[in-house]
Amino acid sequence: MLAALCLLLSTHLPLLSPHGEKAVVLLFVRTDCPVSNRYAPDLQRLYENFARQGIDFRLVYPEHGLTAAAMQRHRGEYGYTIPAVLDAGHQYVARARAKVTPEAAVFVHGELIYRGRIDDRSVDIGKERLAATQHDLEEVLATVAAGRTPERRQTEAVGCAIENLP
Amino acid sequence: MRWVALSLVTLLTASDPVTFNKQIAPLIFQNCSSCHRPGETAPFSLLTYEDVRKRAAQIVAVTQRRYMPPWSPEPGYGDFASERRLTDAQLGLLAEWVKAGCPQGDRADLPPQPHFTVGWQLGPPDLIVKLAKPYQLAASGSDVFRNFVIPVDVKNTKYVRAVEVRPGNKRIVHHANILIDRRQSMRRLDGEDGQPGFAGMLDSAETHSDTFAPDSHFLFWKPGTVLEANPDDLSWQLDPGTDLILNMHLRPSGKLEAIQPEVGFYFSGQPPTKHPMLVQLEHDGALDIPPGARDFEVTDHVTLPVEVDVLAIYPHAHYLGKQVEAWATLPSGARTWLIKINNWDINWQAVYTYRMPVRLPRGTTIGMRISYDNSASNPRNPSNPPKRVLTGPRSEDEMGHVWLQVLPPKESAEDPRVTLQEALMRRRLEKYPGDFAAQCNLGELSLMRGQLRQAVSEFEQAVQAGPKSATAHSGLGTGLLAEGHYDQAISELKEALRLDPRHLNARLNLARALGAQGDLHSAAAELDGVLRQKPDNAEAQSGLGFVYFLQRRYDQALLHYQEAARLRPEDADVQTYLGTLLAMRGDLPGAIKAFEESLKLNPHNDVVRAYLARARAALAAKAKRY
Repeated sequence: MLAALCLLLSTHLPLLSPHGEKAVVLLFVRTDCPVSNRYAPDLQRLYENFARQGIDFRLVYPEHGLTAAAMQRHRGEYGYTIPAVLDAGHQYVARARAKVTPEAAVFVHGELIYRGRIDDRSVDIGKERLAATQHDLEEVLATVAAGRTPERRQTEAVGCAIENLP
Repeated sequence: MRWVALSLVTLLTASDPVTFNKQIAPLIFQNCSSCHRPGETAPFSLLTYEDVRKRAAQIVAVTQRRYMPPWSPEPGYGDFASERRLTDAQLGLLAEWVKAGCPQGDRADLPPQPHFTVGWQLGPPDLIVKLAKPYQLAASGSDVFRNFVIPVDVKNTKYVRAVEVRPGNKRIVHHANILIDRRQSMRRLDGEDGQPGFAGMLDSAETHSDTFAPDSHFLFWKPGTVLEANPDDLSWQLDPGTDLILNMHLRPSGKLEAIQPEVGFYFSGQPPTKHPMLVQLEHDGALDIPPGARDFEVTDHVTLPVEVDVLAIYPHAHYLGKQVEAWATLPSGARTWLIKINNWDINWQAVYTYRMPVRLPRGTTIGMRISYDNSASNPRNPSNPPKRVLTGPRSEDEMGHVWLQVLPPKESAEDPRVTLQEALMRRRLEKYPGDFAAQCNLGELSLMRGQLRQAVSEFEQAVQAGPKSATAHSGLGTGLLAEGHYDQAISELKEALRLDPRHLNARLNLARALGAQGDLHSAAAELDGVLRQKPDNAEAQSGLGFVYFLQRRYDQALLHYQEAARLRPEDADVQTYLGTLLAMRGDLPGAIKAFEESLKLNPHNDVVRAYLARARAALAAKAKRY
């Protein structure tokens, strides 16, 4: 049932918030990426804070060849309750122009207003701050949740490459 | 001609496209697969074409940045065993392959997958110890440095040639340092926050500092290390009552994790014949980094009074560490690099073993320089905004240590380790005038050399620096005892025991001093005290035997000498007394055996030779009579 729903989502790319949500947030993750895995508690916390404030979340797995069962297993293992999408054809990747995991893309009325890092904890591959000093995604979401439209922004995300389709 | 050469190059390049099976697989198998395989530390396997193709862009990104394979030392600054570093040409091959669309190539070109040992790398260990209760690591938060206290249950002394750590959950363990706590001094910290172990970063050999002549072996584990056992002559001693401190660097993975590490010991049948030493370069006293400093430096140097072979090196700094350098300036003035790390990263700290030991002649000066970035532009800075940082074990403190494991070739009359230790302690006094540990160590060295006046003077200074230290008072008392100043010795030894009633050496020496004054009764009481604390103390057993011998309580004397001989069969004097006591009670075969044993251990004792001759004659006479 869930897998079928995921497939449905991945083919239709409903980034227009059909239920009147304020925004749609795509969170790109890979099952085998230690960087995005380490962000799991942070991503889940953002979901829990903002989903009830009218923001629609999708956890996007852009891995070619990943099965829906493996995706759900990973989701359970890391304690995600964010609805997941298997983006085997990279429709979401193309739409958000995402390059790495973890990376976030925020759409308001179908328009991309933020793409980039979750926060500034990762500085380079293997180079991390002990704690983030800038919470980019959270700031964007807070602005949207407050009913305002944030300035359009992009930041450089650090993580594992989203591989090209074979 | 040039045209021909050029077209030949083009032809070769064209006919030799980069494929997985031909060029990439061997490179991956050799440099990546030992960690990137099931059950190992890396987050995914790299064993097949599909494994590699799925992460091809990622592999190019991390290898170009030299984040993978992890190898910190700069090439050309020390030749290390198990170096794992891709050449520029190999990096080029990877990039070219990905650019070409990751072609798989001809199946016939594919080398067989490497063979890896599953489980204990050196086979079943002789002893396995395990953390009693698992430790829970939170899903998120900063890295955790945890010290697990694991008692090692051995009944008698063992000699260890290898130690293997099985963390239980390799994905969260970045590296582990094993420390040997012979005095069980860390137990009191265990579990104080409700979880197994205690927090903090201990660097190698920290707990060794209070014992002279530690075994000086780096016991370091990081994922992917190819484990090699030491040769039997380089084993180290593991005594009963030792605690293992497993200092682990743990990284939250994004989900709740538990670990319950196991440590396997591989024993050698014989005690070591080669005794390495650790030389520590440091200047913790100068480690006072102002906030905002981008290039704060700590340096140290020491001149070697003996020739040494450097076997391995272990640099240690925390999150502010920037560049680490160590070198040797030979007596000729020439410089030999020992290590250089341009981008210090605590996450990849390691012990580096030289491919061939580095021979450094007497008179060589070893130097080190470590720089630190305590500015806000250092992303790893634990404090935001930066603050003043001093030396300490917490991750927000700093350290600046370079440890060298050296082996002095044994040639001179004196143990070269003693000479070297003295030089290290004298250097320590230069850095820290009046330093307690240095004074104590120098006193010990003088005692070992029989330089009693000097020992007494050094221990007097140690007592001044640390008036509450039982060790200092005990050392002073021991020196005074050896000089024959019994009254003063007794007062110092009693002071040591007042400060630490469990100080065995102080009590043993107090017994000796009392005995020397003729107070056999009090001496026996002190020796009884030692045996109550440690029944298998051979010196107390033989000491008590001697007191009873003097008191003519021969049966009791015999019992204690028998016990002493069992505990320390290599003591010639014990065998001599044992033989004498056995002869007195008429056990001539037993006496002969003991005298023979004594002569085997010390053939140049004519008195024992005469005793043996008399015992043999008596036995022969007895045989004739019947």
